[in-house]
Amino acid sequence: MKTQQLTCFLMSVALCVVPSSARADGEKLVTQIVNLLSNPDREFRAAALEAVRSSAKGTSQTQTFAAELPKLDAEAQAALIAALGDRGDVAARPAILEQLAGSKNEAVRAAALAALGEIGSLSDLPALVNALGSVSNAEQQAAETALVRMRDVWVAKTIVTDLRTAPPEVRSKLIEILAVRRATSEIPAIIAATTDTDSSVRAAAMNALGLIGKPEQLAAMLPGVLMASRGGERDNAERNVAEVCERIENENERGDALIAALDTVDAGKRDELMPLAGRVGGQRLIRFVADIASSSDASRRTFGIDALSKWPDAGPADTLLEIANNTKDATERRQAFHAFVKVCASRDNRNDQQRLDRMKQAMKESRNADEKTAVINRTRTAYDVESMRFVRPWLDQPEFCQIACETIVELAHHRQVRDPNKEEFDAVLDQVIKLAKNEELVERANRYKRGETWERKK
Amino acid sequence: MLDQAFEALKTFDFGTPLSDVEAIDDAALAAHEDAEVRKDLEQRLIAALGLGISRDAKDYVCRKLALVGSAAAVPALTSLLSSAENSHLARHALERIPGPEAADALASAATNLSGKLQVGAIGSLGVRGETKAVGTLTSLLKERDAMVVRAAALSLGLIGGNESAEALQTAMKSSSADNNAVIDGLLSCAESLLSQKKTTEAAAIYTSLSGNEQPRLVRLAATRGLLTCAEV
Repeated sequence: MKTQQLTCFLMSVALCVVPSSARADGEKLVTQIVNLLSNPDREFRAAALEAVRSSAKGTSQTQTFAAELPKLDAEAQAALIAALGDRGDVAARPAILEQLAGSKNEAVRAAALAALGEIGSLSDLPALVNALGSVSNAEQQAAETALVRMRDVWVAKTIVTDLRTAPPEVRSKLIEILAVRRATSEIPAIIAATTDTDSSVRAAAMNALGLIGKPEQLAAMLPGVLMASRGGERDNAERNVAEVCERIENENERGDALIAALDTVDAGKRDELMPLAGRVGGQRLIRFVADIASSSDASRRTFGIDALSKWPDAGPADTLLEIANNTKDATERRQAFHAFVKVCASRDNRNDQQRLDRMKQAMKESRNADEKTAVINRTRTAYDVESMRFVRPWLDQPEFCQIACETIVELAHHRQVRDPNKEEFDAVLDQVIKLAKNEELVERANRYKRGETWERKK
Repeated sequence: MLDQAFEALKTFDFGTPLSDVEAIDDAALAAHEDAEVRKDLEQRLIAALGLGISRDAKDYVCRKLALVGSAAAVPALTSLLSSAENSHLARHALERIPGPEAADALASAATNLSGKLQVGAIGSLGVRGETKAVGTLTSLLKERDAMVVRAAALSLGLIGGNESAEALQTAMKSSSADNNAVIDGLLSCAESLLSQKKTTEAAAIYTSLSGNEQPRLVRLAATRGLLTCAEV
């Protein structure tokens, strides 16, 4: 009996002693950390913050650290909030919300918003969404980061609900957040936003689809393209549709998918979408667009030629030349010929000699000064000394002299073209220096002669 | 092939293509799996060191002995420790050859040599983590040559353990020691104690370095150490 009692006593001592010693160590650590949090030296504070992030685990410890917040200055508060966020213990949330509600310091509020991304709950979403419209960039950014990082599966759904009521600048940010979260389940809501009345919302929706859209959604994206204003917004919308098309590996299947999507659009508006075909490219689409570019309806032909001019490679070059040579309309001839020269000059998979050969062909086919100027101008994309030799004679003709100067300087810009033929380039650059009216061209020519580089202005 | 390579070693010098001695490299690789090859190669390398070969050839041999050397190679390598030209690569080999012979050779050099050669030997004892050399290194902490004291303190730090820590703590109290080197050594000791979960001993070192009389960066390192101790 006595042995049993002794054993029980020893066991109870052991059970009490070990945890209390561990507890004492833990308390010591927490005390050390807390003391360091208010250290005036930021590196000592950083040591404490690192400990807040990764050690002294436990809810009560988290609460002890969070309780320090009101005692610190704003800089230290912001740093501690960030560390508590990284610690990932929701026990810090009430103290952080208190700072968010009460602090007038931007950095503190931004840190609190960002921390909610780690330890916040669905009930914090209104505050975060609200902060997206804040006048403070830091707070906007922090709220955005938090909304991207929040792990709750309902976050995306709640964001979609907010999409209906939020002001436009917030709506576009919410859409960006959905895209970064790769919220593919919410694509229908994003598609709906492609025809929003606000252009920034439409653009954000198209960008989001460019990031997470799937080929099945191509047809649904087209009303957004039609709704986009001509110019930058339309370009952006088309680019995003092309991005989605690019997710189909096979070129023909890609073309078929776009054609199928175009077929869903009202015939009267379809031609307006032809530039899309140009952005996507491929033989299947060349035929599709070429039919439109050579149809009997002049306005349809314009759309078709415009589409072919945007082709990413020289694929439709012969088609465009044929249109240019067969048309009797001078405007159409101009449009088609310029498109022909443009695609011939594209820096696609062909080599520079092939590009130059196309330029020589274009020069032969040219009929007036405007067309010759276009050819001389575009020859700059064939990085070969032969291109310079091709353009050089035009320096002697006043009508083409300035554009020839430009092209020669652009060719000389490429060291790999210039250096192996330095003597020849120096001679032609001397001519440029004498003839060019543009001071920048003269300066560039001089620099290249001296073997220097030139930084293109942005 | 190996015979040819050793023949080539006799005239090997700076600029000689390494392909001339490639067979020795191959043998050194093969030696990892074949004790006989290892022994034979080691003997050939030891013999080569006695042939009056060039400095670069000796360096090459030392590098190979670092891979295949044993106690048998220690005398030949020891003879190079006093050579300003070859001591570095000889130490490179001795740092890697297991067994007390190499350690004894370095400990002897650490007390008998002078200047940079002595400092090198002291450093090699630290690299080896030679706990038996703690006594020798502790006595070197009292030397007048600051380079020697510094090297000894750093080596004690690399060796780590309570004995090294005690020696360094004592040295820190004496005004003659290079305090920065002693502190570096102590911090290294504390880290090695921490890695062995000897937090009480490590914390004692960190506490001794966290006072206001210490430079800011030392206090910072000690503070970080103390936080880690409390965490472990």
